[in-house]
Amino acid sequence: MVSPVLLIAVPLGLAFAMPLIALISRRLPRFVPLVACAFNLIVAIRLIPTVLSAPVIQRIGGFSPPFCINLFAGPVGVMFAGLIALAGLVIAIYALSYIRTGPTVRYHMLYMLLLVGATGVVLTGDVFNLFVFFEVLCISSYALVAYFGDRNGLEAAAKYLIQGAVGSALLLMGIGLLYGLFGTLNMADIASRIGSVSDISVFVPLALIVSGLGVEAAIFPLNAWLPDAHSSAPSSISAILSGIAIEVGLYAVVRMIFTVFGATSIFMFLLFLGVLTVLMGELCAFAQTNIKRMLAYSSIGQIGLIVFAFAMASTISLAGGLFQLLTHTLSKALLFLAAGYMIHRSGSMEISSLNGMGRRMPLTSLAFSFGAFSIVGLPPFIGFPSKFLIVRSALEKQQTLFTLLLGFVLLGTLVEGAYFFRVVQAIYFKKSGDEPASRSLAPALPLISMLILAVLIIFVGIYPQPVADALSTAASDLLDRAAYIGSVLR
Amino acid sequence: MSFLEDYAYYFGAFGLIFIGLLIMLVKHNLIKVIIGLSILDTGVNLFLISVGYISNGTAPIFCRDDMDPSRMVDPVPQALVLTAIVIGVAVLAMALAIAVRLYQRYGTLDLRKIKELRW
Repeated sequence: MVSPVLLIAVPLGLAFAMPLIALISRRLPRFVPLVACAFNLIVAIRLIPTVLSAPVIQRIGGFSPPFCINLFAGPVGVMFAGLIALAGLVIAIYALSYIRTGPTVRYHMLYMLLLVGATGVVLTGDVFNLFVFFEVLCISSYALVAYFGDRNGLEAAAKYLIQGAVGSALLLMGIGLLYGLFGTLNMADIASRIGSVSDISVFVPLALIVSGLGVEAAIFPLNAWLPDAHSSAPSSISAILSGIAIEVGLYAVVRMIFTVFGATSIFMFLLFLGVLTVLMGELCAFAQTNIKRMLAYSSIGQIGLIVFAFAMASTISLAGGLFQLLTHTLSKALLFLAAGYMIHRSGSMEISSLNGMGRRMPLTSLAFSFGAFSIVGLPPFIGFPSKFLIVRSALEKQQTLFTLLLGFVLLGTLVEGAYFFRVVQAIYFKKSGDEPASRSLAPALPLISMLILAVLIIFVGIYPQPVADALSTAASDLLDRAAYIGSVLR
Repeated sequence: MSFLEDYAYYFGAFGLIFIGLLIMLVKHNLIKVIIGLSILDTGVNLFLISVGYISNGTAPIFCRDDMDPSRMVDPVPQALVLTAIVIGVAVLAMALAIAVRLYQRYGTLDLRKIKELRW
C-alpha cells in the first residue's frame, strides 16, 4: 500500500529541487509540476478504495498519537488531495504556455508549494501542523498574486497579505489557547477532551480559530481581499486560488468545527453567515463590469452556498456541500482558464470587450459557457446534481426557517444565472464593434486543459451517483467524531 | 499583587497584540502597518511562550537525576514559537518585498493613495 505521506513529501522535495533542476535546463522546471501532480493524483486514486473502508493513520517520528504528529488520510482528506492534484495538473498544463514572462522558475516553485500547503492542510491530524501548512499555502499565494509585479497585482497582494497575516495571528492565538487548555495539539486528543472543560473557555479559541481560518475561506465579512487578489493575479493563479485555496480554508474551518470542537451550537450562526455570503457575493458580482472580478465575487457566492450546506449538518447536506465544492473547483477553474485566454485575446478585462467572442474563439467560448452553465446549476452539467442535493437536504429538514433561508439562497442563484447568462449572451449574440471577425484558437495546451475540465463536468453531471455515494461516506467521516477519535487514538 | 505577578506575561502579550492591531488599523503608511504586524506577531509568540513558562524553570532532561520534574518548562510551546518566528520572518520579508515594489510603482507608501481597485 502507498503511504499518504508521499502526497506531501514528493511535491515538497521537487519544489525545493526546482532551482537545481533549472540549472540543468531552463526549460525543465515547467514540467516538474506536471510530474508532481500526476504522481499525487495516482497516489490519491490508489488510496481512495482503502480509505473508504477505514482511514489510514500515518505516524511521523515513530511515536504513537497523541505524542507524534499524525496524518489522517480519511475519505475527505484523500478526496481533497486527489482534487487538488487534479486541478493542479490541469492548471499546470495550462500554465505551460500561459506563463511565459517573468521569473518562471519561481512561479513553478511557488505553485508547487501552494499545492503542498493545500494537501498538507487536508491531510494533517495536528492543529499546529495545520497552521504550518496553512502558512505555506498563504505565503506562496501572496507571492503568486503579485507575480506580474504590476500596480494592481501589488496592491491586491499587499491587501491580501495584511489581512491574511492578521488571520494567521488569530489562528495561532487560538491554537495557543487550546494548548493551554488541554496540553496537546493532536486533533483527536483535543476532540476527546473538549467536553471536560466549560463551554465558555472553549468558545474563545473556537472564535479565534474560525475567524482566523475564515479569512482564507472568504466567509463574509472576512472576504474583502478576495475580489482584488483573484482578479489581479495571473489567470492560472486565479483558477487555483478560487478552485483550491478558499476550499482548503473552508475544509479547515469545517474540520475544526465538526471534529475538533464538535460545536453544534454555532451551526445556526454559520447558516446565517452562509446566506449572507451568498447574497453579498452574488449581488456584488451582478454589478461588476470586469469579468475576473465578476468571477471572483461569484466564488464568494459559491462559498456561501457551501457554508450553508455544511451548516445544516446532516449527512446528505454535507454530501451536497462537498459535491458543490467539487463543482466549484472544476467549473470555476474552467471559467478562469477560459477567461484568461479571452482577456489575452481582447486585451481588456471589461465584459463588453468580450462581445462577439463566440465567433473569434469558438472553443474557448464554448468552454466558458459550459463552466457558466455548470456553476448556475443547469443539467446535464455537474452543478445540477450538487445544487439539487443541497436543495433536497434543506427541504428534508422540514422547518420553516430552513425553507425560508433556502429561498434566499435560491434568489442568489437566480441572480447568478442572470449575470452569467448576460456574459454568455455577450459572447455569442453581440456584434463586436470594430474588429473583423477573424477566427483564432487558443494554443493547444490550454485547450487540452479546458477540454479535460469540460469533459469531467459533463461526465460527472450525467453519472453523479458514484460520486454522490463516495461523498456521503466522506460526509459521515466529517460527522462521526467518535470514529475519528477512535481511529487515531486506538 | 500576586495576581499581577502571575499574569504579567499574559498582560504583556495581549498588550502587544492590541498595540499591533491598533497600529494596523489607524496607520496609513504601509511600512508602519507592517511594523504593527510584526508587533502583533511578537505578542502572539510571547503569549505562546507564557503558556508553558515556569519561573526559574529548567530544561526538561529526564535522564539526569539532579533535575526536578516539577520545575521543568514545557518544551512544546517553545518549539511552536520557534516555528512561528520563522513563519513570521517569511511573512515579514514578503510584506517588505511587496512594499518596495509598491513604492517603485506608485511612488508612495500611503495606503490612502494606493487604491485603484474598488468594490
